[in-house]
Amino acid sequence: MVSSSRVLRAVALALRIALGAVFVYAAWTKLREPWELFAMSIDAYKVLPYWAVLVVARTLPWAEMLIGLALMAGRWLRVSAAAASLLLLVFFGLMVRAYAKGMQIDCGCFGLGDAISARTLVRDGTLLAGSLFLTWMSFPGRRKAE
Amino acid sequence: MKLFALALTALLPCLAASSDADPGKSMGSPNAPVRIEVFSDFECPACKGLHEQLLPLVMRDYVIPGKVYLVSREFPLPMHQYSREAANYATAAARLGKYQQVADALFLNQFAWEVNGKVWDAVANVLTPVEAKKVQLLAKDPSVMSEVERDVEAGKAASINQTPTMIITRGPKRYPLAGAVNYNLLRSLLDGLLK
Repeated sequence: MVSSSRVLRAVALALRIALGAVFVYAAWTKLREPWELFAMSIDAYKVLPYWAVLVVARTLPWAEMLIGLALMAGRWLRVSAAAASLLLLVFFGLMVRAYAKGMQIDCGCFGLGDAISARTLVRDGTLLAGSLFLTWMSFPGRRKAE
Repeated sequence: MKLFALALTALLPCLAASSDADPGKSMGSPNAPVRIEVFSDFECPACKGLHEQLLPLVMRDYVIPGKVYLVSREFPLPMHQYSREAANYATAAARLGKYQQVADALFLNQFAWEVNGKVWDAVANVLTPVEAKKVQLLAKDPSVMSEVERDVEAGKAASINQTPTMIITRGPKRYPLAGAVNYNLLRSLLDGLLK
């Protein structure tokens, strides 16, 4: 019989690889195109001043790439899982805000043409739930409890 | 607005159509390295903003210097009661070389006709009596109505679901930009594409 902790660890491993791949893919869709396109997506949310839009557009894709690679490699797991959760929490909050305000904008998640909708909210909400679970699993207190 | 009108006058001799663009709705050189197609709806407030604030800057900095070929496309949204009628009038006016004047008038008076439904009043103000008669006839012409429908179908084929949407093309690269766009970012993007 397979113990529940082994199942949890297997789920965490699968989640780590999948979440890492999603982050790497999200970064790649932004880095392969001119950075201004992602800047326009950020600007459309109307939450950041122009200078901050430029900073985020230039740096966030690289941060996503680093987090994604770290998750896939299983390195700095606590930091990378917590960073992924924090980012997804911010993204999800901004998307819910935009959706509630009826803003018809691209979510900016995976390049152009991904308008915010109930589908994108469910998708990002699922990613956030997975990331929070992974963060919880990666902390020593949780492992000791097993 | 004045700049837009001046630019149009200056560009009239070099108006030319690419294979699928209405020459009456296009500005600049068709051989320009970058092409911008603007899908808009005359009853959409964001389209009014784009037409009156952003496009004159694009005209000044990129279309007049021959760097960008600007193509207007109709994308009347079903939720707007009078936008299809407005698109038909504008497309009809394009056959007489009066598209920009009619588009300017439609956007300028958008607040009035979207409420009272008197689209024609806005259009007629910028046409001579002879032109007005021709536009009224042309607006009911099947070729004009099918041209509007072709634009809509082209927009749907490009997965456009909101207005305004600009599709920027440079060689094989296509970038659809939906909604209001910051001009500084657009300028940076265009400058990068033109390098």
